[in-house]
Amino acid sequence: MADTRPLLLSDPDALPTAYTPLPGGSSSPEIRRIHVKEVLAMFAGVVMVSLLVVIIGNTGQDGNVYHRHNRRDKPMLLAASPTKETATKAEKAEKLQAVTRGMAAGVSEKSSRLYSSDVGAGTPVYPWNNSMLSWQRTAFHFQPEKNWMNDPNGPLFYKGWYHFFYQYNPKGAVWGNIVWGHAVSRDLIHWLHLPLAMVADQWYDINGVWTGSATILPNDQIVMLYTGSTNESVQVQCLAYPADHKDPLLTKWVKYSGNPVLVPPPGTGVKDFRDPTTAWYTTDGKWRITIGSKVNKTGISLVYDTKDFITYEQLDGVLHAVPGTGMWECIDFYPVSKTSDKGLDTSQNGADVKHVMKASLDDDRNDYYALGSYNEKTGKWVPDNQKIDVGIGIRYDYGKFYASKTFYDQNKQRRVLWGWIGESDSENADVKKGWASLQGIPRTVLFDQKTGSNLLQWPVEEIEKLRLNKKNFDKVQVKAGSVVPLDVGTATQLDIVVEFELDQKVVESAAESNEEFSCQTSGGAAKRGALGPFGLLVLADDSLSERTPVYFYVVKGSGGTVNTYFCADQTRSSVATDVVKQVSGSYVPVLKGETLSLRILVDHSIIESFAQGGRTTITTRVYPTQAIYGAARLFLFNNATDTSFTASLQIWQMNSAFIRPFSPDAASHASFTPVTVFIKFIVPFGIFLTLYFVR
Amino acid sequence: MNYSIQTPLLLLLVHIVFFNVQTQSQSTDLISKTCKKTPHFDLCLSSLQSSPQSSNSDISGLAHIMADLVLSNATDTLDYIHGLLKQSPEADLQKPLANCAELYIPVVKYTLPQSIDALSNGHYGFANYGISDAAKEAEACEKGFSGESPLTDRNTLVSSLAEVAVAIIKLVQG
Repeated sequence: MADTRPLLLSDPDALPTAYTPLPGGSSSPEIRRIHVKEVLAMFAGVVMVSLLVVIIGNTGQDGNVYHRHNRRDKPMLLAASPTKETATKAEKAEKLQAVTRGMAAGVSEKSSRLYSSDVGAGTPVYPWNNSMLSWQRTAFHFQPEKNWMNDPNGPLFYKGWYHFFYQYNPKGAVWGNIVWGHAVSRDLIHWLHLPLAMVADQWYDINGVWTGSATILPNDQIVMLYTGSTNESVQVQCLAYPADHKDPLLTKWVKYSGNPVLVPPPGTGVKDFRDPTTAWYTTDGKWRITIGSKVNKTGISLVYDTKDFITYEQLDGVLHAVPGTGMWECIDFYPVSKTSDKGLDTSQNGADVKHVMKASLDDDRNDYYALGSYNEKTGKWVPDNQKIDVGIGIRYDYGKFYASKTFYDQNKQRRVLWGWIGESDSENADVKKGWASLQGIPRTVLFDQKTGSNLLQWPVEEIEKLRLNKKNFDKVQVKAGSVVPLDVGTATQLDIVVEFELDQKVVESAAESNEEFSCQTSGGAAKRGALGPFGLLVLADDSLSERTPVYFYVVKGSGGTVNTYFCADQTRSSVATDVVKQVSGSYVPVLKGETLSLRILVDHSIIESFAQGGRTTITTRVYPTQAIYGAARLFLFNNATDTSFTASLQIWQMNSAFIRPFSPDAASHASFTPVTVFIKFIVPFGIFLTLYFVR
Repeated sequence: MNYSIQTPLLLLLVHIVFFNVQTQSQSTDLISKTCKKTPHFDLCLSSLQSSPQSSNSDISGLAHIMADLVLSNATDTLDYIHGLLKQSPEADLQKPLANCAELYIPVVKYTLPQSIDALSNGHYGFANYGISDAAKEAEACEKGFSGESPLTDRNTLVSSLAEVAVAIIKLVQG
């Protein structure tokens, strides 16, 4: 921004009209007068130049607070990492190293470890190129501009803005140096990045500003409770609040001067005490929270009461515990209505209310929930069905989905669920591409009134704003053993809604099978059965060398009952060897009279699929090398042996959400700009001096 | 050589006066000049001239007046929508009207008040972001009607006033 007009950059002493000293330097009254004027001129010139320098210097400075200093970098950012040196060597010879991150620090495994038994340390690294890697970035899922992200933190709605905070590593694309990132949105879809909300600058969170939750008090005051990892790696709970409640963007946060407000109680491991929940208000007039922990292999939920979020009393016993489940991370505890399709404030309870208890299991990195009843008097939550208790029953999502957290959106009276979607590729690739992790599209959560035994999750309706041109495919017939292409144009950003109808005669006459089906062990979509698999091939190329089947598998069980399973198959999603190749999924309840329905959101390297209105969901991360950009296609497939099906689809292209940094005050200074100053003052002075000395 | 300071000093004064006189103006002159730099000159002129405070306002004050006008018109539109909804309109109007209400409520409740507040605090970028948002919501509301829209004039007004406000704020920003 430096002004390069020659007059200003030149030496004031070298003005074209500079006075040349008389030889000899003899003095006389005239000459003395000349010296005074010369000094005056030089002084005026120096003043002019320094004035201009000061002005330019001030306006060039980044005066606004909303500008993130993490600017968009080149895609091939090389972060400081132990594998940096090996990345520069011949890549064909490179093998994956076994890496572990997080567990030594006291949280669950945070490295993009590969789970399949036949892929792990020693697997050859695929020669990823820039084109393949940059394709992987999503268009409408929340992710920071670069580096590592994990758990969602403190989501809330305040003064017209949705706030989202998240675990973030400002220094690299792997877990570490964790601080709180921050973004805002008017509609849960179009996010704007703000400066970091909290950094690790106190002894009690110097080793990590970890996960926490927000509670909005009745007077609209916000309190944030979070786990800090102290200088001795002890897990403590800390209080923070907005510095200025009048700032609708809640840019700055203050940590309570008396932190930490809670330390591990006697009998609790110092690394087994984290992730405080949103508080709920009891009839005793106190706020109550729960914090996850464990006793040997039993996952437990400790309970505390407080009136001011500063002093707490621990309740006897626990809210709930389930043996064999291990450490409970990111506990979430909230009410759902049995009768209404609205969400409930966290403090609600009553006859038509059920309470959901949820935990992220450290041991298997999956999120489990169970429905039950909360008795405030006894302080205990009891599951409806002990067989599918927390940690041994239903999962929110049968793919990649962890550390999830809900909040009550008082703006639209709904309960909204956030989930951390990690990577399924290697850490090498994450470092090479310069980023890791996404958040799932926020989902509304409702009690399934039809089954009474599970929740329904569905992408928030605001996602539909991104829908562009729609294509209808009515009653497409797909015979057994065939593949039908769907011409949708670009197939990397899609919203797909599809209904399937099987040939009922074939289903009824199908033989009963003793097959104990499980997506995980089924061998994927290539394994044929009488009534399945059938569904869609997502992110496939023309030759189907790469494809991700998302499908149903119907089994006629003993007694003639028809059971439906819903799976996503990563085994052939990429020819690369250093990516996870699993089949994920689960049984999905299908009630009498219901057609089989699917909704699939495709957004580059993430596929989120919802079966039967969100009864069962699967989030899959895929990294194709060929089925990318214009080469990606969509197909219907039927790999069943006996039945054909008819499918009706509505498919929309999806626009980008243009998630970017928020810099609203880029030019918030008034009319005192360098140009006007120059014209108004410097030029007249310049002309004055010119005229003065040229005579 | 005889150094006289009179002539150059006079010339200096002339230059300073000359370069500065451009930015001095009478009030109606200011409104007119300002409105010329907005996308809706006539609307801008009539709105500002009909406001009693405008005669004593500098350009920053004009921005404020315009932002207040956007809010009052948006509030008016929302009230009108609620009125229409109460009259149980036909099915094909019900849904887009309800949608419009959902769009206008946060605009009236949060977006515009926050923008006006930001204007008072010199956060011009944030103010513009919010006022532009209001224009977008008015346009989205209008688009929701497949047939005849009962809100066309009102939506157009809100949207146009917002565009004028944004343009004036950009002038204040410099």
